[in-house]
Amino acid sequence: MPPQPVDVLVIGAGPAGARAALRAQACGLDVLLVDENHDAGGQVWRPIPPSFERAPGGATSPEARDGDTLRAELRRAGVRCLFGHKLWNVGTSLRADLIGPEVSVSWQPRALIVATGTTERVVPFPGWTLPGVIGLAAATILLKSQNMLPGRRTLVAGAGPLLLAVATGILKAGGEVVAVLDLASQGDWLRTLPSLASRPDLLWQGLQWQARLRAAGVPMLYRHGIQSVKAVGVGFEIRTQRVDASGQPVAHAAAPVLAADAVTVGHGLVPGTDVTRLLRARHRYAVELGGWIADADADGRTSVAGLYIAGDGAGIAGAAAAGAHGELAALACAHDLGRLDATTHARERARLQSSWRTSARFGHAMAGLMALRDGAVAGIAPDTVVCRCEDVTRAEIDAAAHDGARDMNQLKAWTRCGMGPCQGRSCGDVAGALLALHVGSREAAGCFTGRAPLRPVSLAEVAGDYTYADIPIPKAAPL
Amino acid sequence: MMFDAIVIGGGVMGCSTALHLARGGMHVAIVDRGPLCREASGVNAGTLTLHMTRAALVPYAMRAWQMWMNADKWLGMGVLAKQAPGLTLAFTEAECALVELRAKARREQGAPIEVITAERARQIEPGLHPGLLKAGYCEIDGFASAYLTGRAFGHALKLAGVDVIENAPVEAIDSNDAGHVVRFAGGREPLHAKRVVLAGGVWIEPMLAWLGVDIPIKVLVNQLIVTERIRPVMRTVLSVANGLLSLKQFANGTVLIGGGWQGEGDRERGGVEARPQNLVGNMRLAAYAVPALAEARIARIWLGLEAETADALPIIGDVPGVDNAYVIGSAHSGYTSGPYMGRIMAQHILGQTPDLPLFEPARLVGLPMPGV
Amino acid sequence: MTNTSLSPPLSLRTNRAVQRGPAVRFVVDGQAVDAFEGESVAAALYAAGMRELRHSPRDDAPRGLFCMMGSCQECLVWVGARKLPSCQVAVAAALEIETLSYREQRIG
Repeated sequence: MPPQPVDVLVIGAGPAGARAALRAQACGLDVLLVDENHDAGGQVWRPIPPSFERAPGGATSPEARDGDTLRAELRRAGVRCLFGHKLWNVGTSLRADLIGPEVSVSWQPRALIVATGTTERVVPFPGWTLPGVIGLAAATILLKSQNMLPGRRTLVAGAGPLLLAVATGILKAGGEVVAVLDLASQGDWLRTLPSLASRPDLLWQGLQWQARLRAAGVPMLYRHGIQSVKAVGVGFEIRTQRVDASGQPVAHAAAPVLAADAVTVGHGLVPGTDVTRLLRARHRYAVELGGWIADADADGRTSVAGLYIAGDGAGIAGAAAAGAHGELAALACAHDLGRLDATTHARERARLQSSWRTSARFGHAMAGLMALRDGAVAGIAPDTVVCRCEDVTRAEIDAAAHDGARDMNQLKAWTRCGMGPCQGRSCGDVAGALLALHVGSREAAGCFTGRAPLRPVSLAEVAGDYTYADIPIPKAAPL
Repeated sequence: MMFDAIVIGGGVMGCSTALHLARGGMHVAIVDRGPLCREASGVNAGTLTLHMTRAALVPYAMRAWQMWMNADKWLGMGVLAKQAPGLTLAFTEAECALVELRAKARREQGAPIEVITAERARQIEPGLHPGLLKAGYCEIDGFASAYLTGRAFGHALKLAGVDVIENAPVEAIDSNDAGHVVRFAGGREPLHAKRVVLAGGVWIEPMLAWLGVDIPIKVLVNQLIVTERIRPVMRTVLSVANGLLSLKQFANGTVLIGGGWQGEGDRERGGVEARPQNLVGNMRLAAYAVPALAEARIARIWLGLEAETADALPIIGDVPGVDNAYVIGSAHSGYTSGPYMGRIMAQHILGQTPDLPLFEPARLVGLPMPGV
Repeated sequence: MTNTSLSPPLSLRTNRAVQRGPAVRFVVDGQAVDAFEGESVAAALYAAGMRELRHSPRDDAPRGLFCMMGSCQECLVWVGARKLPSCQVAVAAALEIETLSYREQRIG
C-alpha cells in the first residue's frame, strides 16, 4: 500500500508536539500527530489509564491540569491523532513507517516535526540493574499515571528537579522516603534562584516541597550519591558516598549505609536523537542541554530540509518552553511550505520567542542541575555493567579503547555495547563519556550511527501476511 | 623513507595482503580513509558458505574457510568463526532445478555439495518450513562475526610490523620508475613506496583512475537485518536456491538475515537507506524458510557496499600498464575468500607462484558492465 | 516461578488522586493476577510483587522494569506472538501474558 500523504507529520504528542500540531492545523496545514502512548501528554503530562478517572474533589496537580487541558484542546480542535503507534523507520524522503496494534501504515509528509522528548540517564553503579531499582522518570510515571508507589520505603537519588518531585510525590501518596541523595549542593540550587524570578509559582512549589520533606523528617543528603546497591532479603542495602562538585566519589569520607525496599535514581535527561541521527542531520554536543542534539536554528530547522525538532529533544528547556518551541517549529514549517506569509510569521514568531526565552530560563537552570558530571563518569567502578542489554562492563569499554577503538561505532563493534534491543538509549550517553576519556572529547567519540528500526519490531509486524508467491524475488544471484 | 609496499584499503583483502607481505619480509604500510575493516569487511553477514560462492571461486573459498576456522593460529585473534552445515533451500520446482544446477557446478569445482530430500534436510534442520521440496547440503559451511575482523587484523598487522594508518584518505598516487608517491587529503605527509596495492573494494574504480586505468566496478548496496537475541531456532547456515537469502543464528542467539537485497546508496554517499519493499521481501523469505523467526524482533538494519566486476569474477593481479601496481578485490562474497586471496596476491608480489591462479585485471579493460 | 523480590503484602497502589476502573484478573504464566483494567502490565506485576521479569543474556542477572516508557527493553513480556515492553501493554480481563523465561521453558 502506498504511503498516505499529509502536509505535516508531528512525532510525539508531549507539550512540544501537541502544540506544534495545534498551531500547524491553525495555519491551515493538513496535520497528523502520532505517539506510541494511548493519548497526548508525553512524559511530563502523562495521561492516566483510559479506565481511570480523576477522583472528584481530589486535589489535581497543576501538571495533571495542564495535561488534561492540552488533551481537551486537541480534541476540540479536531487534530488528527494516531495513538498507540510505534514509529520504526523514516526514509530520506521523510516517509514515516509506523506499526500499530493491528497493522503497519506509512505516511508521506512534506515536513516532519520531531518532538520525541528525552530519555533518562542513570550513571551506572553496582546493583543498578537489580529489579526494584528504577529511574526517577519511571517513578514519576508510576506515581502520576499508574498511581502506584515504587515501594513502601524508597530511596530517592540522583540529580535534578525530579528528585524533589518524586520524593514529595511518594510522601503525598502515603509512602516513606528513606532519604534523598543529591549530587548537587545547596549552593547549586541557590544559584538557580534568579531563573525562578519569572516563575514565582514554581519557586513556591519548590519551597513547599522542601518544607514537606523536612516536616516528614526525610534526610536531604547533598553532595551524596549511590556507591552500590545490594539485594538483602526482600529489600536493598545501599552504600552511599560523598561526592565532589564534579560528581567524583570522595575517598575515605564517611557516608551512611541505608536500607530501603525500592531505589529510584536518575542523573538527568538526555534528548532523544534516534530520528535525527537516522536521517543524518548534523548534531552537536551540548552538555548543559543534556548531551547530543541536532544542530538547529531557534525555530527548530535542522540541517535536513523539511526536518524540524522541538521541545526537550532539541535541548532541555522544560515543559513550558517546549510548548512555545513546538509552535515556533510549526510556524517555521508553515512558512517554509508557503502557507504563512512573512509578516504574520514574524509577528507570531516574535511573541513566541519572547515566551520561549522566559520559560527556557528556568528550564535551562534545571538542565544545568542535571547535566552529566565528569567525576560521576570517572567514578564508575570497572566491573559495573554499562550496557544493560549486553552486560558490557566499563572494563570492557576501557579495554576496547586501549586496543584502538576511537569512536562509538567501533566501540560498539568491538564490545557489543549498543547492539541490544534498547539500541543504545540506556547506555549511549555514559558510554560516550567513557570513550571520551580516552579519545579526548565527546565530539571525537561521536554517536552511534542512527539505524532503523527506531524501536524493535518483529518480522511478522513488518512482513504482514503473505504467501511465497508474494515475496518479490529479484534476479537470481550469479552462478 | 621508501616502503616496499603500501596497501590502500584496509578491508579483509588489503589486510590479508599486507599481513602476508610483511611476513614475507617486506616493509609494509596499510592505509584506509577510516578504521580497518569498517566497510564491507566489517558489516557483511559473515557467511562462510560454498552454496553462495561463485562456482569458479569454490577452490579459493574452501581454502579460506580453513583460514577463518583457524584464525587463532595465523591471525592471533579469531572472529568467532564456527563450522555449521549449510543448506540451500528449494520451495518451488524451478528452485529445485536451480539447486541441482548450482550443486553440480560447485561439485565440479570440488565443493562437497549433495542434493538431499526435504525429509533429510529437516533432520538436519528441524525448524524448516514444511513446504520445503529439496535442499543442497554442504557439511563444511559456517559463519563468522564480521564486526570483529578489524580488531583481529589490527592486532596481527601491528605485531607483524606493518604501519597501520587509519583515518587517512588517499586522494592521488603519483607513479614513476622509482616507485609511487601516495598523497593524502588534508595535508598529511605523502608516503613513498616501491609497490602499491589497491584494495579498496567498491572504491577500486576511482583508485584505478588515479593510475589512469578505467575499469568499471559495480556497486551493490546490500541490506542486512539482525534480530535481538532469541531462543535457538536454527543450527545451520541457510540460503535459498535463487541466492537471495542468507540466514544464520550466532552463539549469542541473534539471527542475521542477508542475501543481497538492495537498498539505496552509491560509492560517494555510501549506504543511504533501506528500500522498504526489499526489507519486506527479505524478511518474508527469512520467516518463510524458518517460521519461528516471525516472532523475532529486529534490533538493527544496516547497509554494506559490495563490489562486482563486469564478469562477476574478482580482479586480482597487476594493474594493466602500470609497473609495480597491483589490485585485489571485487569478489562476490569476498569476505568468504578474502584471507586466501590476500595470501596469493602477496605470493605474486613476493615473486612466488601463487597456489591458485589470480584473476587478470587486464581482461576487464574495455569490457562493458552488463545492463548499462 | 520463584521471585526473591516479593514485596510485603501491603499494596503499592495509591488511591488519593484517582478512581480506578474495574478490578480484573489477568493471566501471567498460567496464574491469575489481580489488577485494574488499563494499568500497565509492568506496574500491575510490580504491585503484585513480581519485580523480576527476565534475566540478562550474559550474566544471567535478574532484571525488571526500569524506565517505564518503552525505551530500556527490560520489562519485556510475551503477549501472544508479540514480545512487548510490558510498560506499554494495558491490563484487560482476557489478557494472557508470559514472562520470557516461562515461555522459553514451555517451548524449549
